[in-house]
Amino acid sequence: MSEPLRPVMEAQPASDAPTVERRAISRRGFVIASVCIGAAALFGGFALFRSRGTRARDGAAVFATTLPDLDGKETALSQWRGKILLVNFWATWCAPCREEMPHFVAVQSRDAGKGVQFVGIAVDQADKVREFVKEIKLNYPVLIGGLGAIELSKALGNELSALPFTIVLDRSGNVVHTQLGQLKARELDTLLESLQA
Amino acid sequence: MAAVSLFLPAFAAAFAAGLPAQPKLLPPEQAFRLSARALDPSTIEARFDVADGYYLYRDRIHFSVGSSGDLPAELPKGQRKHDEFFGDVETYRGPVVIRVPLPAAIPGRTLTLHADSQGCADVGVCYPPNPQKLEVALPASGGKPGPYVEAAASKSWLK
Repeated sequence: MSEPLRPVMEAQPASDAPTVERRAISRRGFVIASVCIGAAALFGGFALFRSRGTRARDGAAVFATTLPDLDGKETALSQWRGKILLVNFWATWCAPCREEMPHFVAVQSRDAGKGVQFVGIAVDQADKVREFVKEIKLNYPVLIGGLGAIELSKALGNELSALPFTIVLDRSGNVVHTQLGQLKARELDTLLESLQA
Repeated sequence: MAAVSLFLPAFAAAFAAGLPAQPKLLPPEQAFRLSARALDPSTIEARFDVADGYYLYRDRIHFSVGSSGDLPAELPKGQRKHDEFFGDVETYRGPVVIRVPLPAAIPGRTLTLHADSQGCADVGVCYPPNPQKLEVALPASGGKPGPYVEAAASKSWLK
Protein backbone atom coordinates (compact mmCIF):
# COMPACT_ATOMS: atom_id res chain seq x y z
CA MET A 1 0.00 0.00 0.00
CA SER A 2 2.76 2.39 0.81
CA GLU A 3 4.38 2.26 -2.58
CA PRO A 4 2.54 0.03 -4.93
CA LEU A 5 4.41 -0.34 -8.17
CA ARG A 6 2.32 1.41 -10.75
CA PRO A 7 1.60 0.04 -14.16
CA VAL A 8 3.77 1.48 -16.87
CA MET A 9 0.83 3.15 -18.57
CA GLU A 10 0.24 5.49 -15.65
CA ALA A 11 3.61 7.08 -16.10
CA GLN A 12 2.91 8.11 -19.65
CA PRO A 13 1.17 11.31 -20.73
CA ALA A 14 -2.46 11.11 -21.72
CA SER A 15 -2.91 11.43 -25.45
CA ASP A 16 -6.03 13.56 -25.28
CA ALA A 17 -4.24 16.50 -23.73
CA PRO A 18 -6.24 19.72 -23.83
CA THR A 19 -4.64 22.46 -25.90
CA VAL A 20 -4.15 25.95 -24.55
CA GLU A 21 -4.38 28.92 -26.87
CA ARG A 22 -1.18 30.84 -27.16
CA ARG A 23 -2.68 34.24 -26.39
CA ALA A 24 -4.18 32.96 -23.16
CA ILE A 25 -0.78 32.36 -21.66
CA SER A 26 0.61 35.41 -19.90
CA ARG A 27 4.22 35.75 -18.89
CA ARG A 28 3.28 34.55 -15.44
CA GLY A 29 1.57 31.59 -17.01
CA PHE A 30 4.72 30.87 -18.95
CA VAL A 31 6.77 30.80 -15.78
CA ILE A 32 4.30 28.44 -14.15
CA ALA A 33 4.31 26.27 -17.26
CA SER A 34 8.10 26.22 -17.28
CA VAL A 35 8.15 25.12 -13.69
CA CYS A 36 5.61 22.46 -14.56
CA ILE A 37 7.76 21.22 -17.43
CA GLY A 38 10.73 20.94 -15.13
CA ALA A 39 8.71 19.25 -12.46
CA ALA A 40 7.05 16.95 -14.98
CA ALA A 41 10.42 15.98 -16.39
CA LEU A 42 11.72 15.34 -12.90
CA PHE A 43 8.74 13.39 -11.61
CA GLY A 44 8.07 11.76 -14.95
CA GLY A 45 11.62 10.50 -15.00
CA PHE A 46 11.25 9.36 -11.43
CA ALA A 47 8.00 7.57 -12.17
CA LEU A 48 9.43 5.86 -15.23
CA PHE A 49 12.47 4.84 -13.26
CA ARG A 50 10.21 3.30 -10.64
CA SER A 51 8.17 1.40 -13.16
CA ARG A 52 11.15 0.14 -15.12
CA GLY A 53 11.69 -2.49 -12.48
CA THR A 54 8.19 -3.76 -13.15
CA ARG A 55 8.54 -3.56 -16.90
CA ALA A 56 11.79 -5.48 -16.98
CA ARG A 57 10.47 -8.32 -14.87
CA ASP A 58 9.23 -11.35 -16.67
CA GLY A 59 7.12 -13.88 -14.89
CA ALA A 60 9.70 -16.66 -14.97
CA ALA A 61 9.73 -16.85 -11.17
CA VAL A 62 5.95 -17.18 -11.14
CA PHE A 63 5.85 -19.91 -13.75
CA ALA A 64 8.64 -21.83 -12.02
CA THR A 65 6.50 -22.12 -8.87
CA THR A 66 4.66 -25.25 -7.84
CA LEU A 67 2.51 -25.32 -4.72
CA PRO A 68 -0.04 -27.74 -3.25
CA ASP A 69 -3.73 -27.02 -3.77
CA LEU A 70 -6.38 -27.51 -1.08
CA ASP A 71 -6.33 -31.26 -1.69
CA GLY A 72 -2.56 -31.40 -1.37
CA LYS A 73 -2.05 -31.87 -5.11
CA GLU A 74 1.09 -30.15 -6.42
CA THR A 75 -0.02 -27.49 -8.86
CA ALA A 76 2.28 -25.71 -11.32
CA LEU A 77 1.54 -22.05 -11.98
CA SER A 78 2.94 -22.55 -15.49
CA GLN A 79 -0.38 -24.10 -16.54
CA TRP A 80 -1.85 -20.57 -16.63
CA ARG A 81 0.78 -19.20 -19.01
CA GLY A 82 -0.95 -17.28 -21.79
CA LYS A 83 -3.73 -16.01 -19.51
CA ILE A 84 -4.07 -12.58 -18.02
CA LEU A 85 -2.96 -13.93 -14.69
CA LEU A 86 -3.62 -12.31 -11.31
CA VAL A 87 -1.73 -13.97 -8.48
CA ASN A 88 -3.07 -12.83 -5.12
CA PHE A 89 -1.11 -13.58 -1.94
CA TRP A 90 -3.50 -13.55 0.99
CA ALA A 91 -4.37 -15.14 4.35
CA THR A 92 -7.45 -15.56 6.51
CA TRP A 93 -5.68 -13.64 9.29
CA CYS A 94 -5.51 -10.64 6.96
CA ALA A 95 -8.81 -8.73 7.03
CA PRO A 96 -7.95 -6.42 4.10
CA CYS A 97 -7.20 -9.55 2.06
CA ARG A 98 -10.57 -11.09 2.82
CA GLU A 99 -12.36 -7.84 2.06
CA GLU A 100 -11.18 -7.61 -1.53
CA MET A 101 -11.71 -11.26 -2.47
CA PRO A 102 -15.49 -11.20 -3.14
CA HIS A 103 -14.74 -8.64 -5.84
CA PHE A 104 -12.10 -10.94 -7.35
CA VAL A 105 -14.76 -13.67 -7.44
CA ALA A 106 -17.10 -11.34 -9.33
CA VAL A 107 -14.40 -10.29 -11.80
CA GLN A 108 -13.34 -13.90 -12.34
CA SER A 109 -16.86 -14.90 -13.39
CA ARG A 110 -17.32 -11.70 -15.45
CA ASP A 111 -14.00 -11.91 -17.33
CA ALA A 112 -13.19 -15.63 -17.48
CA GLY A 113 -14.22 -15.63 -21.14
CA LYS A 114 -11.68 -12.90 -21.81
CA GLY A 115 -8.80 -15.00 -20.60
CA VAL A 116 -8.63 -13.57 -17.08
CA GLN A 117 -7.45 -16.03 -14.44
CA PHE A 118 -7.11 -15.36 -10.71
CA VAL A 119 -5.00 -17.66 -8.57
CA GLY A 120 -4.86 -17.24 -4.81
CA ILE A 121 -1.79 -18.15 -2.82
CA ALA A 122 -2.72 -18.48 0.83
CA VAL A 123 0.04 -17.86 3.35
CA ASP A 124 -1.97 -19.81 5.86
CA GLN A 125 -3.17 -23.17 7.19
CA ALA A 126 -5.23 -25.29 4.81
CA ASP A 127 -8.17 -25.81 7.20
CA LYS A 128 -8.73 -22.07 7.73
CA VAL A 129 -8.38 -21.49 4.00
CA ARG A 130 -10.93 -24.20 3.19
CA GLU A 131 -13.44 -22.67 5.56
CA PHE A 132 -13.14 -19.18 4.08
CA VAL A 133 -13.05 -20.36 0.47
CA LYS A 134 -16.35 -22.16 1.07
CA GLU A 135 -17.85 -19.14 2.77
CA ILE A 136 -17.26 -16.77 -0.15
CA LYS A 137 -17.82 -19.45 -2.83
CA LEU A 138 -14.42 -18.87 -4.35
CA ASN A 139 -14.44 -19.65 -8.09
CA TYR A 140 -10.69 -19.70 -8.78
CA PRO A 141 -7.87 -21.96 -7.59
CA VAL A 142 -6.19 -21.43 -4.24
CA LEU A 143 -2.79 -22.86 -3.46
CA ILE A 144 -1.27 -23.19 -0.02
CA GLY A 145 1.92 -21.17 0.18
CA GLY A 146 4.89 -21.89 2.37
CA LEU A 147 8.45 -20.67 2.17
CA GLY A 148 8.32 -20.86 -1.63
CA ALA A 149 5.39 -18.47 -1.79
CA ILE A 150 7.02 -15.99 0.58
CA GLU A 151 10.24 -16.10 -1.41
CA LEU A 152 8.29 -15.58 -4.64
CA SER A 153 6.46 -12.60 -3.18
CA LYS A 154 9.78 -11.15 -1.97
CA ALA A 155 11.41 -11.72 -5.33
CA LEU A 156 8.57 -9.72 -6.85
CA GLY A 157 9.27 -6.76 -4.58
CA ASN A 158 7.25 -7.54 -1.45
CA GLU A 159 10.17 -7.14 0.94
CA LEU A 160 8.09 -7.12 4.12
CA SER A 161 6.01 -10.12 3.05
CA ALA A 162 2.94 -8.04 3.91
CA LEU A 163 -0.50 -8.93 2.57
CA PRO A 164 -2.52 -8.60 0.43
CA PHE A 165 0.00 -8.62 -2.40
CA THR A 166 -1.13 -9.10 -5.97
CA ILE A 167 0.83 -9.41 -9.17
CA VAL A 168 -0.66 -9.12 -12.62
CA LEU A 169 0.89 -10.82 -15.65
CA ASP A 170 -0.04 -10.16 -19.24
CA ARG A 171 -0.59 -12.92 -21.79
CA SER A 172 3.12 -12.90 -22.65
CA GLY A 173 4.01 -13.61 -19.06
CA ASN A 174 5.34 -10.16 -18.18
CA VAL A 175 4.64 -8.79 -14.73
CA VAL A 176 2.76 -5.60 -15.60
CA HIS A 177 1.60 -4.63 -12.13
CA THR A 178 2.41 -5.41 -8.53
CA GLN A 179 0.19 -4.21 -5.73
CA LEU A 180 0.83 -4.20 -2.02
CA GLY A 181 -2.49 -3.56 -0.30
CA GLN A 182 -5.91 -3.87 -1.84
CA LEU A 183 -6.38 -3.67 -5.58
CA LYS A 184 -9.26 -1.22 -5.90
CA ALA A 185 -12.14 -2.15 -8.21
CA ARG A 186 -11.61 0.80 -10.55
CA GLU A 187 -7.87 0.27 -10.78
CA LEU A 188 -8.39 -3.42 -11.46
CA ASP A 189 -10.89 -2.68 -14.24
CA THR A 190 -8.57 -0.14 -15.89
CA LEU A 191 -5.75 -2.62 -15.75
CA LEU A 192 -7.79 -5.49 -17.19
CA GLU A 193 -9.18 -3.31 -19.97
CA SER A 194 -5.67 -2.33 -21.02
CA LEU A 195 -4.57 -5.98 -21.03
CA GLN A 196 -7.59 -7.30 -22.90
CA ALA A 197 -7.20 -4.75 -25.70
CA MET B 1 3.16 26.59 -26.54
CA ALA B 2 0.71 23.80 -27.14
CA ALA B 3 3.61 21.52 -26.36
CA VAL B 4 3.63 22.94 -22.86
CA SER B 5 0.11 21.83 -22.18
CA LEU B 6 1.06 18.31 -23.21
CA PHE B 7 3.33 18.17 -20.23
CA LEU B 8 0.66 19.12 -17.74
CA PRO B 9 -1.22 15.83 -17.82
CA ALA B 10 2.16 14.13 -17.80
CA PHE B 11 2.94 16.03 -14.67
CA ALA B 12 -0.35 15.00 -13.10
CA ALA B 13 0.19 11.36 -14.04
CA ALA B 14 3.76 11.41 -12.83
CA PHE B 15 2.64 13.04 -9.62
CA ALA B 16 0.11 10.29 -9.01
CA ALA B 17 2.60 7.57 -9.87
CA GLY B 18 5.74 8.99 -8.33
CA LEU B 19 4.62 10.33 -5.00
CA PRO B 20 3.05 7.77 -2.71
CA ALA B 21 0.06 9.18 -0.88
CA GLN B 22 0.57 6.56 1.83
CA PRO B 23 3.30 6.55 4.42
CA LYS B 24 6.05 4.02 3.97
CA LEU B 25 5.41 0.79 5.82
CA LEU B 26 7.57 0.05 8.83
CA PRO B 27 9.20 -3.35 9.13
CA PRO B 28 7.26 -5.38 11.71
CA GLU B 29 9.96 -5.18 14.38
CA GLN B 30 9.64 -1.37 14.26
CA ALA B 31 5.86 -1.27 13.92
CA PHE B 32 5.50 -3.60 16.92
CA ARG B 33 8.59 -2.97 19.04
CA LEU B 34 9.06 -5.70 21.59
CA SER B 35 11.11 -5.52 24.75
CA ALA B 36 11.14 -7.52 27.98
CA ARG B 37 12.63 -7.58 31.44
CA ALA B 38 12.63 -9.90 34.41
CA LEU B 39 10.49 -8.78 37.35
CA ASP B 40 11.71 -11.58 39.60
CA PRO B 41 13.22 -15.08 39.11
CA SER B 42 9.88 -16.48 37.94
CA THR B 43 8.24 -13.60 36.07
CA ILE B 44 9.01 -11.78 32.85
CA GLU B 45 7.36 -8.56 31.79
CA ALA B 46 7.06 -8.14 28.03
CA ARG B 47 6.13 -4.89 26.36
CA PHE B 48 5.02 -4.06 22.82
CA ASP B 49 5.19 -0.46 21.67
CA VAL B 50 2.82 -0.38 18.74
CA ALA B 51 3.52 2.50 16.35
CA ASP B 52 0.73 4.92 15.36
CA GLY B 53 -1.37 3.51 12.55
CA TYR B 54 -0.65 -0.11 13.45
CA TYR B 55 -2.35 -2.68 15.66
CA LEU B 56 -1.67 -6.13 17.08
CA TYR B 57 -4.15 -8.97 17.54
CA ARG B 58 -4.41 -9.97 21.20
CA ASP B 59 -5.14 -13.64 20.58
CA ARG B 60 -2.17 -14.00 18.26
CA ILE B 61 0.37 -13.11 20.92
CA HIS B 62 2.13 -16.10 22.44
CA PHE B 63 5.19 -16.56 24.63
CA SER B 64 7.26 -19.64 25.37
CA VAL B 65 10.63 -20.64 26.78
CA GLY B 66 12.45 -23.76 25.61
CA SER B 67 9.83 -26.46 25.12
CA SER B 68 7.40 -24.98 27.63
CA GLY B 69 4.55 -24.57 25.18
CA ASP B 70 2.50 -21.40 25.45
CA LEU B 71 3.05 -19.69 28.79
CA PRO B 72 -0.05 -18.35 30.58
CA ALA B 73 0.70 -14.72 29.68
CA GLU B 74 -1.52 -12.14 31.35
CA LEU B 75 -2.75 -10.29 28.29
CA PRO B 76 -4.61 -7.09 29.20
CA LYS B 77 -7.97 -6.36 27.62
CA GLY B 78 -7.71 -4.89 24.16
CA GLN B 79 -10.01 -2.79 22.05
CA ARG B 80 -12.86 -4.89 20.74
CA LYS B 81 -13.10 -5.16 17.00
CA HIS B 82 -15.60 -7.12 14.96
CA ASP B 83 -14.10 -9.42 12.39
CA GLU B 84 -16.47 -11.00 9.88
CA PHE B 85 -14.55 -14.27 9.78
CA PHE B 86 -13.16 -14.60 13.31
CA GLY B 87 -16.00 -12.87 15.18
CA ASP B 88 -15.15 -10.43 17.97
CA VAL B 89 -11.42 -9.97 18.32
CA GLU B 90 -9.34 -7.67 20.51
CA THR B 91 -6.54 -5.44 19.30
CA TYR B 92 -3.77 -3.43 20.93
CA ARG B 93 -2.51 0.00 19.96
CA GLY B 94 0.20 2.05 21.65
CA PRO B 95 2.11 0.46 24.53
CA VAL B 96 0.93 -2.82 25.99
CA VAL B 97 2.55 -4.47 29.00
CA ILE B 98 2.18 -8.23 29.51
CA ARG B 99 3.16 -10.28 32.56
CA VAL B 100 4.54 -13.67 31.63
CA PRO B 101 4.85 -16.12 34.55
CA LEU B 102 7.50 -18.80 34.05
CA PRO B 103 6.87 -22.49 34.86
CA ALA B 104 9.43 -22.28 37.69
CA ALA B 105 11.73 -19.81 39.40
CA ILE B 106 15.24 -19.96 37.94
CA PRO B 107 17.20 -17.28 39.82
CA GLY B 108 20.35 -15.92 38.20
CA ARG B 109 19.78 -17.66 34.87
CA THR B 110 19.48 -16.10 31.44
CA LEU B 111 16.79 -17.55 29.26
CA THR B 112 15.53 -17.10 25.75
CA LEU B 113 11.97 -15.86 25.57
CA HIS B 114 10.19 -16.70 22.31
CA ALA B 115 7.44 -14.31 21.34
CA ASP B 116 4.96 -14.63 18.51
CA SER B 117 2.81 -11.75 17.38
CA GLN B 118 0.82 -10.65 14.39
CA GLY B 119 -0.57 -7.29 13.41
CA CYS B 120 -1.67 -4.99 10.64
CA ALA B 121 -1.35 -1.41 9.45
CA ASP B 122 -4.39 0.84 9.12
CA VAL B 123 -3.46 1.55 5.50
CA GLY B 124 -4.78 -1.93 4.74
CA VAL B 125 -2.02 -4.47 4.93
CA CYS B 126 -1.20 -7.18 7.44
CA TYR B 127 2.10 -8.67 8.44
CA PRO B 128 2.69 -12.41 8.73
CA PRO B 129 3.09 -13.91 12.20
CA ASN B 130 6.36 -12.56 13.56
CA PRO B 131 8.43 -14.83 15.81
CA GLN B 132 11.04 -13.00 17.90
CA LYS B 133 13.57 -13.97 20.55
CA LEU B 134 14.82 -12.08 23.59
CA GLU B 135 17.60 -12.98 26.00
CA VAL B 136 16.30 -12.14 29.47
CA ALA B 137 18.54 -12.31 32.55
CA LEU B 138 16.61 -13.35 35.64
CA PRO B 139 17.70 -11.80 38.96
CA ALA B 140 18.92 -13.76 41.96
CA SER B 141 16.29 -14.59 44.57
CA GLY B 142 15.21 -11.34 46.18
CA GLY B 143 17.03 -9.34 43.49
CA LYS B 144 15.75 -6.27 41.70
CA PRO B 145 13.91 -6.36 38.35
CA GLY B 146 16.31 -6.38 35.42
CA PRO B 147 16.60 -3.80 32.63
CA TYR B 148 14.44 -3.95 29.52
CA VAL B 149 16.06 -5.71 26.58
CA GLU B 150 14.92 -5.20 23.00
CA ALA B 151 14.08 -8.04 20.66
CA ALA B 152 16.47 -8.57 17.79
CA ALA B 153 15.06 -8.20 14.28
CA SER B 154 13.76 -11.52 13.10
CA LYS B 155 15.26 -12.93 9.94
CA SER B 156 12.25 -14.86 8.79
CA TRP B 157 8.75 -15.40 10.01
CA LEU B 158 9.00 -19.08 9.19
CA LYS B 159 10.22 -21.32 11.96
